[in-house]
Amino acid sequence: MSSQDSLPKWTSKPCVMGIDEAGRGPVLGPMVYGCLYCASSYLKQLSSLNFADSKTLKEEKREELFEDLKANESIGWAVDVIDPRELSSKMLNKVKINLNEISHDSAMGLVTKVLSMGVLLTEVYVDTVGDPEKYRIKLSEKFPNIKFVVAKKADSLYPVVSGASIVAKVTRDRALREWALEETAENMHRNFGSGYPGDPTTKCWLEDHKHSVFGFPTLVRFSWGTCTSYFKDVVEVSWESDKVDEDGATGGSGKKQLRLSNVGITTSKRKSEEIESSGKGRCKFFQARKLEQLSRF
Amino acid sequence: MNDQNERKGEVIVDFDFDFGTDPKALDISGKVHQLPCTIKFDGPCPVSHYFKPKSTGIEVDGLNLEEAYFRGRKLQGATISLPEGYSGYVLGKKSKASEQCDDSSPWQVKAKFDNITYWNHDTLPSQDDTFQRTFHWLTVAQALHKPVTAEDLASASTALKNLS
Repeated sequence: MSSQDSLPKWTSKPCVMGIDEAGRGPVLGPMVYGCLYCASSYLKQLSSLNFADSKTLKEEKREELFEDLKANESIGWAVDVIDPRELSSKMLNKVKINLNEISHDSAMGLVTKVLSMGVLLTEVYVDTVGDPEKYRIKLSEKFPNIKFVVAKKADSLYPVVSGASIVAKVTRDRALREWALEETAENMHRNFGSGYPGDPTTKCWLEDHKHSVFGFPTLVRFSWGTCTSYFKDVVEVSWESDKVDEDGATGGSGKKQLRLSNVGITTSKRKSEEIESSGKGRCKFFQARKLEQLSRF
Repeated sequence: MNDQNERKGEVIVDFDFDFGTDPKALDISGKVHQLPCTIKFDGPCPVSHYFKPKSTGIEVDGLNLEEAYFRGRKLQGATISLPEGYSGYVLGKKSKASEQCDDSSPWQVKAKFDNITYWNHDTLPSQDDTFQRTFHWLTVAQALHKPVTAEDLASASTALKNLS
C-alpha cells in the first residue's frame, strides 16, 4: 500500500520521515507500522495541519486527517501490516524473535521501501521501541546516510511522527474492522472491541471464541501472556521444539538436565519422551527413523 | 485426533462422519495430518473449521510446500502419497454384535487413506525428515524377505570367491 504512483518532484530534495506503530499492545489483530514523509522545506506547513498524537484524537478526526493527508500532494506515506499469525509464529519459533525485533525490522523495512522508491531521505524520526540510543545506533548502522532521531513519545513531539501515527492507527483500525476470519466455525462474531486485553468487549470476544483444542482463531496473538488466562481448561499440547529447548542444547543448566536423565532419574519429561515412537534399543537404522516394533495395539 | 495414542507426531484426522453409520472404507485421503506436537485429546474435533492448510506454490526438495497454523505456530508441511501397494487405515473396535458372528479380529476398518500430510514446526519439509525416511524400511524389508533366486545365489558365491 502506498500513496505514490509516480514520484512528485519534491522527493528528490532532502526529505524528512516519521515512523510510528499502532496495535503493539492488543492481544488480537495486526500490528501496523506507518510512515509519513515530506520535503524538509514543507515541515513548517506540516506543523500547521494539526496532526496530534493519534491516541489523543477521536476516531472520526483521525479518519478525517488520514483522508486529508492522502489527498495532500506534498506528503507521502506507506504502511507495513504485520499479520497476527506472523507475530505469534515468530515469537513462538524455535529461535524466538521478540516483539522489539519484529518492530525494528518493520521500521527498517519502511525506510528501505521509501528509499528504494527514490525518495531522498535525510532525516528520520522514530518513536522508540526499547532503548532509544541502542535503537538509534542499529538504525544508523543500517542506513549510514540518514540522520535518525529516536525518542520516547516521538508521536507527540514531532508532527511528522504524529502524522505517521495517524497513518498507522487508521490502517490498524480498518484492518481489524475488515478482518476476514479464516476460521469457519459456527457462532463466530466480529465484536472484537479495540483488541486491548483490558477492553471488556475484547475479553468477551476471547471468551466466546476460545476452543479447547485449537485455542483461538488465528486473529489472536497466541504469544501474548493474556491468552494463558483463557487456556485454563484447554487441551494440553506439547511441542517437539519446546522439548529440545528444555533439554537444552544451550546453556549450562540444560547440560545438567541431560546428565541427570542419563543417570536414570525419571522426570515427567522423560516419561513423555518415552511415549514417543523412538526405536529405542533397536538397531541404528530403526532409531534414526523412529521406527518401533509394535506387536499389539 | 482419533484412536491415536498420545504420541509425539500426533495424527489428526478430520472426521465428519458418524462412526455408527456405514463405516465401510470411507476415503479420508487429504484429511490425515501428522503434527510435530502431542495433543492430549482423543475425540472428534472440527478440524476443517480451524486447521486451514494452504498450498504455497513453492517446491522444496521435490515437495509441494504447504503452510498452516496451529496454536499460534507456523507449520510447514507436505502431502506425500503412501508407497505403491500400501494404504493407510483407521481401525476401530468392532461393535459387540458384529464381533459375535465374525472371525478372530476385533478390529474393523473405519476409513482408509492413500496420502498423509506431515508438518514440521519451523523447518522446511525435506526428504531427510524422519517421517519420509521411515518408508526406507519398506525397501529394506523387501530386500530381506524376497525369495532368493538361483541367480542371486550364483552372484553371491562369485562375490565370495572374489573376496577370498
